[in-house]
Amino acid sequence: MTATSTRSARAARPVPSTGRAGRSGHRPRRWRFQPAWLFAAPSLVILLGFIVYPIVQSFRYSLYNWRIGAETQEWVGLANYAELLGDERFWNALYVTVIFSVVSVVAQLILGFAAASALQRDTWLNRIVRSVFFFPTIVALAIIGIVWRFMLDPSIGLIGGVTELVGAEPIPWLQDTSLALPAVIAVSVWKNVGFTMIILLAGLKGVPEHLYEAARLDGARGWQLIRHVTLPSIRPTLLFATMIMTINSLQVFDLVYVMTNGGPLFATDTLVTMMFREGFENFNLGYASTIAWVLFAIIMALSAFQLRIFRYQDVD
Amino acid sequence: MSTDLHVRRRPSPQKALTGTLKWVLLGVGIVVALVPFVWMVTGSFRTEADLFGAPASLLPEQWSLHGYRGIWEELPFMRLVMNSFIFAGVTTALCLVFDSMFAYALARIKFRGSTLCFWLVIATLMVPFQVTLIPVFVELFHLGWLDTYHGLIIPRATSAFGIFMLRQFFISIPRELDEAARIDGAGHLRIYWQIILPLAKPALATLAVLHFMNLWNDLLWPLIVTSSTEMRTLPAALTLFGGQHVNDHAVLLAGATLSLLPLALAFFLAQRYFVAGVATTGLK
Amino acid sequence: MRTIRRHLTIATVAALAVAGCSSAGSTDNDGDPGMETDADAGPVELTLWTGFTGGDRGAYEALVETFNDTHDDIQVEMEVQPWDTIAQKLPSAWATGQGPDVATPNFDPNIVGQYLETDSLLALDAVGEGEGQINVGQLAPAAVEAFTVDGTLYAVPANMATLQLYYNKTLFEQAGIDGPPADVDEFREVARDLTGDGVYGLSLAERETIQMWPILQWLDGGDIVDEQYCAALDTPENVESLTTWSQLVVDEVAPVGLTGAESDALFSAGQAAMQLNGPWAAPGYRDAGIELGIAPVPTGVDGDVTLASTAPLAISANTEHPAEAQEFLAWWTGQEAQKQFALESGFPPVRTDMGDDPELAANEDVSAFAAALPGARLYLPGVPSATEVDSEGYIPLIGEITRGEDVEQAIQAATERINSTTGCQG
Repeated sequence: MTATSTRSARAARPVPSTGRAGRSGHRPRRWRFQPAWLFAAPSLVILLGFIVYPIVQSFRYSLYNWRIGAETQEWVGLANYAELLGDERFWNALYVTVIFSVVSVVAQLILGFAAASALQRDTWLNRIVRSVFFFPTIVALAIIGIVWRFMLDPSIGLIGGVTELVGAEPIPWLQDTSLALPAVIAVSVWKNVGFTMIILLAGLKGVPEHLYEAARLDGARGWQLIRHVTLPSIRPTLLFATMIMTINSLQVFDLVYVMTNGGPLFATDTLVTMMFREGFENFNLGYASTIAWVLFAIIMALSAFQLRIFRYQDVD
Repeated sequence: MSTDLHVRRRPSPQKALTGTLKWVLLGVGIVVALVPFVWMVTGSFRTEADLFGAPASLLPEQWSLHGYRGIWEELPFMRLVMNSFIFAGVTTALCLVFDSMFAYALARIKFRGSTLCFWLVIATLMVPFQVTLIPVFVELFHLGWLDTYHGLIIPRATSAFGIFMLRQFFISIPRELDEAARIDGAGHLRIYWQIILPLAKPALATLAVLHFMNLWNDLLWPLIVTSSTEMRTLPAALTLFGGQHVNDHAVLLAGATLSLLPLALAFFLAQRYFVAGVATTGLK
Repeated sequence: MRTIRRHLTIATVAALAVAGCSSAGSTDNDGDPGMETDADAGPVELTLWTGFTGGDRGAYEALVETFNDTHDDIQVEMEVQPWDTIAQKLPSAWATGQGPDVATPNFDPNIVGQYLETDSLLALDAVGEGEGQINVGQLAPAAVEAFTVDGTLYAVPANMATLQLYYNKTLFEQAGIDGPPADVDEFREVARDLTGDGVYGLSLAERETIQMWPILQWLDGGDIVDEQYCAALDTPENVESLTTWSQLVVDEVAPVGLTGAESDALFSAGQAAMQLNGPWAAPGYRDAGIELGIAPVPTGVDGDVTLASTAPLAISANTEHPAEAQEFLAWWTGQEAQKQFALESGFPPVRTDMGDDPELAANEDVSAFAAALPGARLYLPGVPSATEVDSEGYIPLIGEITRGEDVEQAIQAATERINSTTGCQG
């Protein structure tokens, strides 16, 4: 199931892949019905109609000073993109998004790996603990946002209350410009670490025991085993986890929207919350689409880069 | 940490110490993972005065049902639950069928344009949903699909993630199986239906769980597409409802508890699929 | 009333998008219910969409019921739905000639202009002093001004809320202060005196809130924009005002960076002695066990001033019953109806001529909020792109100065942002 086995399975397969007429079917006059399109059609239509067309449409918006409801739209070419590059709010949002993504992905990988290693054996106790860690993953971000927002509230929240019990001043987590982002990142990690743990757990189980034995015979211990046996063996899993997490965190919206809505003073303003504000509160749809497209480009570039780094083999 | 799981020799004092440390840390983790939910549930039974008077307490001084009463009185609760099940259930079912069909084509049939199709799937995987929000809304308006079940369901009835994941899974199924079937004269439809799908059950179960979870939790989409209370899903209705009573935290927390409840129940009944499910995705 | 705003905006844009499309030639008729086409047989039926889903919903429903009981020839059916639902559906419905006869399109008075762009609103002409007419001279002037475009009235206030000074009597007693402050200097002084022991003198919110900061500026004779919609923040009064008030925050007399809900929570928890808020907050504070006092906002240098908020009640340009619909509006804003509504909801009447009504005067909440009506002002009335002025200009300004940044520099930055947003040529 790893990349290697995929490749060998493919190499082993016989050449003509369709029964009736393979690639060598020489009947040029007759249009040959291709069953693949029948299988692809429903999804393809939906993807084209509700993702590809809208995103092309939004690119069109980004070339206009698109005002909702207006009879005619003002063409501005690339002016929106130029304006974006000079907009300090954009650079701030980009910075916040990058910090959010890097810190939360790294923290999730580390904590998820630690939890996965600690709970690797299939005892009943371990299973229960795993379920507990996984539980936050299934909960809607909107709910998590509401609950944590209240919990972190200095005057009514549990955390403020406990801080006061130990004799300290309650901390204004979400009101302080330097604490809000760490707080939101922490909640995001709290929610997602179970997901990472489960994925890595599956990877860990796939590492053949004999590799560890061999390494031990060579005198490897503790961290060395992890470094030289575990990590290389679970590389495909790590790639998958990292990619999914990076894409998700670059698009972070719900949690920020519910917890801080980008505030205080833009301290948690990510690219998507900024886009949302420009488009849906300030009615600058053209500008919002510009932000969206820049984000899209960043995600594409980054994913391509990650695929390259991990030399992920599966497309031919 | 992981080494002592594999080597079972005499426990040395050092091992015992790391073992204890491990469980202390895990214990902290368990508390951190669960306390917010305990607080949410008990908070939904607390009066405002109680909540403000004793913020450090996890338990109500006196149990009050006014949060739930408020929600029950003002929302067509059963209808909302039904809508949520229709939306999440039907969409998930369609997704499984459509995703697996596309994935089958990508994994098992060689055809012109398959690479292009695959890259299309990968690319759509990276589109932030918010980017397409307005164009999609306008599109739905022109189709006359706003505030209808099909408007809610069809645009979400396939997912790039599902196609991608299933394709990876299908590729890993040995080709010898369908070659054998083909010799027996089976066409693509039969291979897909009788060989590939049964073998892909674990992956499909996973995907079903993931889709259902995401759709149930989705907020923005039902908010945009539906407009009458009769068409709303539970989380969407509860969120709006909560916003209007911002002064009463119990109502908001009761709403959160109620919309979490079905999912939590499903999780405890079928957690094997939730957990095992996510695990299979990671193998790819 | 305030947190929902964020949901709504999405919907508003989406709906407007559709309105734009449909006015450009599309003729989708997916049969929206609500348009009554029945002839003279029986009473005229009017549909009314409102967004009053909150705790005040009952008071509006009772009002419609009274109207139906007293009018045999007109029957109104009110459909209450969340604000965002209305914002989604109404623009397209009205622009294409469907939808209800009467509606509250939004809780933001500035919405009127957007509906006028698609010619969706009926010009109200049944205006005058008589009964059965809309007594425009007696309605809250701020609302009338917001709903009048080029000399024509397009909506009446469905409700009118003002902000008053809430104070915690227990905390005042503990600090040995007899009563609420009378003028702006005393306001600041008392706020300082009340601070300490984990208690803030004043609970202020900077974002996602009914606006509190403009009142503070108005008290000192300042304002945000001038009549040409240019930022007026750099005048000496404004600099002085923003400096003193932000100094109070820096000195921890008022908290930093709260949202409206957090500011309410602070007051509910008994951790703030004073707050500026509207009539909707009172029941919650009493439930939380606060010994609540409601007093006028302290007098400013130019006299009494506070913030008003109002939701427009408007008629579809395509209604088949313009006369009856206007009669309904006239009745809604009439003395009798307003008295009933005020007593039931605690909101002040939308009229300015009911001050001496003994029953209203006896109701503590109503009289408190009604007393503020004459000096009440709307936030950024008629300003182009008002939401953007708020979110990109004013809120960041307050955020910066309350965190100790240089006031003049922050004002400079906000001025540039606001001027480029409103298109001020100054």
